Amino acid sequence: MSGGRPGRLAALIAALVAVFLLMPLIAVIPVSFTPNRYLSVPSGAWSLRHYRDLITNPGWGQAVWLSIRIGLLSSVVATTLALFFSLGIWMLRPRFATVLMGIALLPMVAPPVVSALTLYFLLVSLSQFNSVVAYDTLPGVALAHAVMIAPFAVVLITVALAQVDRRIDLAARAMGAGVLTRVTRVILPNIRFGVLTAFFLTFVLSWEEIGVTIFVTSVNVITLPRMMWMGLRDNIDPAIAAISVVLIVIVVTVILAKTAVQILQRRRSARKTA
Amino acid sequence: MVASLDLTLSGSWKGRGLQNIKAAEIGAEGIGKRFGSFAALDDISLTIGRGEFLTLLGPSGSGKTTFLMILAGFEPATFGRLTLDGRDVTKMPAEERAFGMVFQGYALFPHMTVEQNIAFPLKVQRRSAAEVRRRVAEMVEMVGLGGHGHKRPAGLSGGQQQRVALARALAYEPPVLLLDEPFSALDKNLRGQMQDEVRRLHRETGTTFVFVTHDQSEALALSSRVAIFDHGKLQQLASPQEVYERPANRFVAEFLGDINILPLTDVAPDAAGACGRFEGGVIRAAAGAGCVSGLLAVRPEYMRLSEAAPDGNAVCARIDEVIYLGAETRLELRTRGGIALTLSVATAALPQGLRQGAEIWAGWPEEQGFFL
Amino acid sequence: MSNATRTFVLLGPLLAFIGLTYLVPFLGVMRWSVTLPEPGLGQYQAALSDPLILSVLVRTLRICTLVTLFSVLAAYAVTLIWVRGSPAQRLAIELCILIPFWISVLTRAFGWLALLSNRGILNEWLQSLGILSEPLTLVRNEFGVIVGMTHYLIPFAVFPLASAMRNLDERALMAARGMGASRARVFRNVFVPMTAAGILGAALVVFVFALGFFVTPAILGGGRSVMVAELIYLYIFQIPNWGLAAAVSVILMVAVGVLLALLMRVMRPPVPR
Repeated sequence: MSGGRPGRLAALIAALVAVFLLMPLIAVIPVSFTPNRYLSVPSGAWSLRHYRDLITNPGWGQAVWLSIRIGLLSSVVATTLALFFSLGIWMLRPRFATVLMGIALLPMVAPPVVSALTLYFLLVSLSQFNSVVAYDTLPGVALAHAVMIAPFAVVLITVALAQVDRRIDLAARAMGAGVLTRVTRVILPNIRFGVLTAFFLTFVLSWEEIGVTIFVTSVNVITLPRMMWMGLRDNIDPAIAAISVVLIVIVVTVILAKTAVQILQRRRSARKTA
Repeated sequence: MVASLDLTLSGSWKGRGLQNIKAAEIGAEGIGKRFGSFAALDDISLTIGRGEFLTLLGPSGSGKTTFLMILAGFEPATFGRLTLDGRDVTKMPAEERAFGMVFQGYALFPHMTVEQNIAFPLKVQRRSAAEVRRRVAEMVEMVGLGGHGHKRPAGLSGGQQQRVALARALAYEPPVLLLDEPFSALDKNLRGQMQDEVRRLHRETGTTFVFVTHDQSEALALSSRVAIFDHGKLQQLASPQEVYERPANRFVAEFLGDINILPLTDVAPDAAGACGRFEGGVIRAAAGAGCVSGLLAVRPEYMRLSEAAPDGNAVCARIDEVIYLGAETRLELRTRGGIALTLSVATAALPQGLRQGAEIWAGWPEEQGFFL
Repeated sequence: MSNATRTFVLLGPLLAFIGLTYLVPFLGVMRWSVTLPEPGLGQYQAALSDPLILSVLVRTLRICTLVTLFSVLAAYAVTLIWVRGSPAQRLAIELCILIPFWISVLTRAFGWLALLSNRGILNEWLQSLGILSEPLTLVRNEFGVIVGMTHYLIPFAVFPLASAMRNLDERALMAARGMGASRARVFRNVFVPMTAAGILGAALVVFVFALGFFVTPAILGGGRSVMVAELIYLYIFQIPNWGLAAAVSVILMVAVGVLLALLMRVMRPPVPR
């Protein structure tokens, strides 16, 4: 163990766990080619009817487009608010920073169902005053998503800021730079990557959000996860398998591409230093 | 090029009034700093003269860095008043004071090139593009980094990064340059070179330099005056020679180099200074000030060895340890009364046949002993 | 800008946002719990005495405990290889953790349905081999819920364990080996205790997460093994009793608050001196 590799037993258990982790994702693939209208494994005849259904049923396209709009709206709001907040904590180091941080992270640490009920209460209450930001409307769902994902943006941007040498900010101040200059010319260029990651992650979280969405939508706002949820609850629609395969392919492609780029970069930098 | 960067900086440069003062005088009156009930600084009063090179020296936790942070405006003082050329700046924030500052670990902007780093303070001050270009070129030349202007800090060595930090801090001719342990990350040879560099920059710019270090030899080598801190108090403020040869108290004496302290008895001032008794012998000191303490201090390098009792001040001691240090040899001695002494002797002048356990006499001139 | 203005401009927006969209509505939920259908603590009394609700709470605790146990054990083995394995092993494990992590909880739950349901891959296969004559009921029951939740939560247990294993002082392991301890002994008596805080942290994260979990149990439990989160959903949308739903939510929030306070205490590094 010391300095060395873990033993064979550990590797074997890890391999079993890895299989367990991938198994349900792989299982989706054959099911998506079933010719039947119910969940089943194709025996003999394979069919593309459920993939065709994704294209011919306009509901799927509408759901995807709706999810993209909600995702963009909520992640822009969440990332912007989180950026201001994290910068404030980092630059000003207020006295009750931990308490303030706790408030900012509350929607992330509270049980999801409690958050869902709370946001249901919020949107039902808002519905009594207006019909724009309300229960079962796009802005309403985007608002609820923004609340749920903002803490993740706070965490990511705070982590990015923690990597920044505080002295470069002090140096800028010592040279007479005001807050705006410090933020735009000194701090932001050094946390660019963290902010982009926060934006990307919050978008994905909104794109996948289902727990809260079930509570704050009914018939008008059908996001992609909401549509899948409806197809999963009672009679299982094999179209869910088709859309799942599409989503899995996207995720796997992105992750493999990212890993490949990382490996190439590592090799290149290794060659440079050698 | 620098001009093509076109950084439209939106700095709140309110310190324009200070801009053309080449060197400023700083006054601190009764500066104190408390963190809760802990007094990090206690009643510091001093004046830093125009164009002076003042070093704040002390062990870690002595309050020297806190004092520098108060000077820079990063930390508010709990008590006291700070003036810049007679103007009260106690409440002025750091960005308005705009003292140049060089940090431990350089604090260069990693996303900017050398030129962009140096141009930054000039752009904050909204100097014209032509002036920024001229000044950056001047500074790059001044610190000997010609040809490195387009590199990022990560591509430079430690010494080069330090030069960029100095150039950046001096580029806009700040009234005061504050340096916070700037050489602590450098190895010994480079440290010597950078000390020469800082001394030269101080001479060429004429700016007031305030330098923080815990390295006593660095402090003695660079400064016009040294302020020694301990436990949040200013222990002594004087020229390097004076703090070394006439330390104000036992802490200063022991902090700066080695010192031998002899507790004398029956001390009395006399016409020539003071005299007292030590282990049966009579010891005289040319300066009688402070003799009531009875503690006579003598730097090891002023002590001379002899086999027989010499004329004048001397004590008899046994050799505990002979430590060869190259050009010098250190001897650890113990007097008959058990007082430990240290001597530094040029190896070339070392008497033959010194060995552990031998008895020997250590003598010193009257004017090299002083009371603590 | 004065310091107060800066604080206000930078920290104000998010705090106001969370305050207005989360804290205030949560107070509203708390109000529901003591006013619907009539003022008083009746709903709390009902929540803690009704045999149906109590059985749901007991089932929730049982499932969460088992899921925590399985997730942390599985995550420990995976993390060990991820942090200390050969470069190829690390890469393989990293992909096996990241891919499921980024895939929607719905897809993952569906995957288990495809695999374990009556006409799913496993049952079809076992039947075609003649091992089974009747399909095994593997989902729409507690087993399915535990499998699905464990699958979902393993990556969340991996992250705290990985940080504990990465921060471990390698020299302590070498010292133990140097003193002649066997590999197994070093693992059991040095490595595991040194990552204990990570294990506890991972367990609490998983447990807290599992408590309020809604989607996976709803799909894989099929309404037959209802957990507390689904109970809240039912009391809002199926058998409207908002006061009771609110009361159960407040109880859940308090329970999670207590667990998080414990977590903070465990994860806080020992105070120097």
